Amino acid sequence: MSPTKNKSASEFDNVLKQQKKSARKARFKTDLPLYLMMAPGLIYLIANNYIPMFGILLAFKRINYSVGILKSPWVAFDNFEYLFKTKDAFIMIRNTLCYNAVWIVMDIVIAVFIAICMNEIAQRKIAKVIQPIICFPSMVSAVILSFLVYAFLSQSYGYLNATIFKDNPVAWYTTASYWPIILTIVHIWQSAGQSSVIYMASIGGIDKGLYESARIDGATKREQIKYITLPLLKPMIIMLLLLSIGRIFNSDFGLFYQVPLGNGMLYETTQTIDTFVYRALIQSNNVGQSSAASVFQAVIGFVLVLMSNALVRKINPENSLF
Amino acid sequence: MKKKNNNKIKLMKGERGFHYMALVIMILMMVFCVVPLILMFSVSLSSENSLVHGYRFIPDEWSLNAYQYLWAKRVTIARAYGLTILVTVVGTIASLIMTSMFAYPLSRKDFKLRNVFAFILFFTMLFNGGMTASYMVWTRLFHIKDTIWAYLLPGGLMGGMNVMLVRNYFNANIPYSIIEAGRLDGARDWTIYSKIMVPLSKPIMTTIGLFAALGYWNNWTNGLYYISNPKLYTIQVYLKKLMDSIQFLKTTDLSNEAVMLAQRNLPTESARMAVAIIALIPVLAIYPFIQKELIKGMVIGGVKG
Repeated sequence: MSPTKNKSASEFDNVLKQQKKSARKARFKTDLPLYLMMAPGLIYLIANNYIPMFGILLAFKRINYSVGILKSPWVAFDNFEYLFKTKDAFIMIRNTLCYNAVWIVMDIVIAVFIAICMNEIAQRKIAKVIQPIICFPSMVSAVILSFLVYAFLSQSYGYLNATIFKDNPVAWYTTASYWPIILTIVHIWQSAGQSSVIYMASIGGIDKGLYESARIDGATKREQIKYITLPLLKPMIIMLLLLSIGRIFNSDFGLFYQVPLGNGMLYETTQTIDTFVYRALIQSNNVGQSSAASVFQAVIGFVLVLMSNALVRKINPENSLF
Repeated sequence: MKKKNNNKIKLMKGERGFHYMALVIMILMMVFCVVPLILMFSVSLSSENSLVHGYRFIPDEWSLNAYQYLWAKRVTIARAYGLTILVTVVGTIASLIMTSMFAYPLSRKDFKLRNVFAFILFFTMLFNGGMTASYMVWTRLFHIKDTIWAYLLPGGLMGGMNVMLVRNYFNANIPYSIIEAGRLDGARDWTIYSKIMVPLSKPIMTTIGLFAALGYWNNWTNGLYYISNPKLYTIQVYLKKLMDSIQFLKTTDLSNEAVMLAQRNLPTESARMAVAIIALIPVLAIYPFIQKELIKGMVIGGVKG
């Protein structure tokens, strides 16, 4: 290789570099409006989502406000150790998992059942009234929900104690053992209609010809549901099942905190991870345990979401998050 | 025979039974959903004397006293109401603008870094720092405690899911050729976004806007975490505090004179329900007109988590 050739090659390189640079500049200039449009959203994501991710480090410190959060001493896994030694940890994890496990299955069964019934009467005028009404409870806030429940369960005036249990009134708000059933009923009231909507849409999309030919072959309704509707709903059911398993460590804060009216006597059956995080942080001012529980929830949730998504992608790539 | 059968296929014997069973079940379901609301309405319309015997679906004695209590408290309630409306309107508009402005660059196939930004957005849907970290950041770093920002900012101003939905809508329903044609006519990105993309994506914007508005109207957890000044209560937070004070008095010693006095100042049984009802009424009133959009949104949202 001669030196001149080398020189020209490096010059050529330089020109290329410069061209690339100016092209990048031009690119940036044309893309600038796009960056500006994303700026508010990006700032929000940083403030609302990314900075709190570093807040996870709080769980590994003993927060002492007098020296400031940054200077508070590191304590490694102490907060987690303290947390998991308490009975609270067992209760809240058990409650979160048990309610979710039962409700995930129950929700699917009820939603599919409602969807099949709704589809059966879809031609009737009344269906156009029923559907919006059974979806309405999901529009009600947890606070108003707590008033509705209170109207039934209030010790002295509640509808149940005034009628069915007139002779020996039940102390609903102080007896923990009733709450799994109460919360389950309230949960069905609030979410059954809404969760059936998606199955109704899929049933509506099933080819009517399938049912026609099944009828010609003499299939009863039951057989049509068993051999046409359910098998065709299966992919959707499995997908929604997996997605909700990804959220099995999360709970509806409003339902578990506000509907039992934050009553300490009911913790045994109403405390979930979300309510514990709130109570430890605001009511007992125990930042260490609160952040330990919330980090535990976030990290396990992350792993579960990744796993459930990987499965969803295997089954039906269109419906996976990524 | 043939004439009778030509259009509708007659229901067979077993099928008719199934059909009516489905009808009855759905009507029962509907009643189950409506009954608690009816009870709340009747309690609010009952006289205080008749409530001593307990809540009834049909009041023993009708009365508008509960609503007179609301009138007496109109300053507090009107302020809470006004704040709720303000938060709902500002929050919804801000949320729609930010969501669509973030979605537009992500939908542009010629925008090189779109995958980087899509990932930045997407990662927030998978992982978060948890509620405690979030609370510490908003209170210690941004100092939003006891300000109106507490209702607007933490949580749901711009969610990853909504941005994805809008971006997908842009991609699926607005042909790239329209954007190119606009650019040939000299339109800049901002013009393309505001004059082409947003007007053409009304359906998805309506759907996510309605859910955002409902979310802001019903939000009480932000108030629970960040607000302690009664002047900054929204109607939901006001309701929540009302319920708290009732519970507090119920569990304290009633012989205490101060408690007795406090209890006398509390709204009566029927008045509490009346407050809950006026918080619910706006939702109830517009629901018939927006239910189709909302139900459509439930289908979209349900599939995508």
